[in-house]
Amino acid sequence: MSTSMTPRSSVPRQAGPDQAVRGNGHGILAAPPGMPQSPLEESSRRSRWVVGILLAVALLWTLVPLLWMLLSSFKNRTDVTSATPQVLFAPTLDNYRNLFTGSNNLGPYIWHSVLAAGISALLAVCLGALAGYGLARTQMRGKKHLAFWIISTRMAPIAAVVVPLFLIFRGLGLIDSIPGLVLAYLTFNLPFAIWLMSAFFAEVPASLEESALVAGCTRWQAFRTVILPLTKSGLVTTFVLCLVFAWNDYAFAVVFSGPNSQTLPIAASQLVTQTGIDWGQLTAIGTIVVVPMMLAGLAVRRWLVTGLTLGAVTGE
Amino acid sequence: MARVLYDEATRVYPGSTQPAVDALDLDIADGEFLVLVGPSGCGKSTSLRMLAGLERVDGGRIAIGERDVTHLPPRDRDIAMVFQNYALYPHMSVADNMGFALRVIKVPKDERNRRVLEAARLLDLEEFLDRKPKALSGGQRQRVAMGRAIVREPKVFLMDEPLSNLDAKLRVQTRTQVAALQRRLGTTTVYVTHDQVEAMTMGDRVAVLKDGLLQQVDTPLRLYQQPANVFVAGFIGSPSMNLAEYRVEGEEAVLSGGTRTRLTRETLKALRDEGTDRVILGFRPEAVEVVGDADKDHTTFPVTVTVVEELGSDAFLYGQYADATDPALREETVIARVDPTAPPSKGARVFLRIVPGKEQLFSAGTGLRLPT
Ligand SMILES: Nc1ncnc2c1ncn2[C@@H]1O[C@H](COP(=O)(O)OP(=O)(O)OP(=O)(O)O)[C@@H](O)[C@H]1O
Ligand SMILES: [Mg+2]
Repeated sequence: MSTSMTPRSSVPRQAGPDQAVRGNGHGILAAPPGMPQSPLEESSRRSRWVVGILLAVALLWTLVPLLWMLLSSFKNRTDVTSATPQVLFAPTLDNYRNLFTGSNNLGPYIWHSVLAAGISALLAVCLGALAGYGLARTQMRGKKHLAFWIISTRMAPIAAVVVPLFLIFRGLGLIDSIPGLVLAYLTFNLPFAIWLMSAFFAEVPASLEESALVAGCTRWQAFRTVILPLTKSGLVTTFVLCLVFAWNDYAFAVVFSGPNSQTLPIAASQLVTQTGIDWGQLTAIGTIVVVPMMLAGLAVRRWLVTGLTLGAVTGE
Repeated sequence: MARVLYDEATRVYPGSTQPAVDALDLDIADGEFLVLVGPSGCGKSTSLRMLAGLERVDGGRIAIGERDVTHLPPRDRDIAMVFQNYALYPHMSVADNMGFALRVIKVPKDERNRRVLEAARLLDLEEFLDRKPKALSGGQRQRVAMGRAIVREPKVFLMDEPLSNLDAKLRVQTRTQVAALQRRLGTTTVYVTHDQVEAMTMGDRVAVLKDGLLQQVDTPLRLYQQPANVFVAGFIGSPSMNLAEYRVEGEEAVLSGGTRTRLTRETLKALRDEGTDRVILGFRPEAVEVVGDADKDHTTFPVTVTVVEELGSDAFLYGQYADATDPALREETVIARVDPTAPPSKGARVFLRIVPGKEQLFSAGTGLRLPT
């Protein structure tokens, strides 16, 4: 999710691309441009350059492969495998056309991905908000330990849970089904959603809901009318992150899914066959996997930025 | 409109052994403005939150009107609360904030708007109705918080330090406005503050708390003139009352350094009953006269002036007991109101005398007021 791509039109040009880095995060409040040059100013200008260059390198590192993938997906077979990298070429939609025609149509894979990732992210946000709110507001002893335990389940490697989960799923008949994948994704998305949402709720002053309670609300009403609207950016952030995690999953899908539930990453892996790799189609699938998530990120970037910094919960 | 009753109401927070509010007894009349005052951590907020239903009552009971509300949830108590940080909903406009409670209880839109507008007019908020709270000044936010309470037309107003986020000047202005508004609406009000000047100027009656225990509840004037114990004596009044420990010799109280004050028969009897020869004598800064060198006698004591505070209409002298042999007393500061047109100068040595009959006496053992 590359939010750093967004243009910073409101930022004065002299300030360079490192606004957020300077002065413990209050970059916007840093000295205005056009101030007299002091030695201090001089050295901070230099460090700004250094930071700018580092950021540019990081940006290239992230974007070039993506860009290359995008370009390759429009190349024909010879251009894609050409020994000299081809930047100028005659674009073709053949790779995409081939993906959606023939015996192994990509359509169902996309649909499975959308269903599994979407439903699991939605469930994770709903359940995570409820549990996170409880966790944020409870006074019980050992609350910190409980919170840590919850998030620690997210840290366990997927390989450790795949086998027991497989046995459980087989017993319940959840293998090769969308509900099975949704459940599987919840195992890693729910702890994350609870933990993240509880951090957002903790930021909302308790007096706001107390005020609502006194005004005549039930707890549920106070939660719905006062607390939830204030954590909108948290909900969006949590949803998008859960969506991305689930969307990108390969480990669970490869074990639990079958013909009725295979997702996009599985489709990509199926192009790697013993007779060779179809690079053109592979990069086309890659593009289909990456672009929707990128667009989703861009669409909600206003919420993501405030959400990821845990700021602005109270609407300031 | 309702009477509010605390009956031995007690709150012990989980994990602590000391009650935050200990068997509080308060009977607040219908329409009364009662102020809860005391130093930080004395249990004022806890008392108020118990009445609001935001804090459990671990012992005793609380009633609003004829109804025992001890175990009712906040929403069934028909109260409105103003929080210290105002707790305005950031995502709602001023109008929506003020009408929120009415919307919750499903008051029709027309009436809701009418009541919001009425309150806005009363508080001079009409032009801000469409704004979000973050676009308001501190004073305006405070008024919105007040407005939100008024619109509700509750049985009781609860206010927890609603003025403490305002600057000094605005605080004084708002103080009178809030008091006037309450008189006009005639709604029973419980008001928490740590500022004793606020308490004295606003309350019909003032309840002084310390360590979760009610010290005294009375009108501001009676609190000032007849504090029930040393704590109230020292807490109420600005500048505060001078308190010094005297030794009882015969029928007189003697200060370290030799100054003597006659005690009444009632006082002496009370001291005899207690079996002590120590007494705490208190006197307000205005209960002191400065006497010339020529007039000094066994009832006067010398003071070295350390600071003179000139306020225009008043002047206060801060000094040290010059003759005290007791090291503890030497550390004490004595405060006296002096003639603002001819205040003594810093470093001067002046003689003070407590105006006869203006001293207040307290037991050195229990701190309780002694009869005079
Ligand atoms: N949630 C809590 N858990 C445990 N103890 C608490 C809690 N809230 C308050 N206390 C304790 O109860 C006592 C009374 O607190 P309270 O908030 O009522 O004081 P206060 O008189 O309002 O003080 P202030 O003027 O500082 O607001 C304090 O000693 C405080 O430490
Ligand atoms: Mg308090």
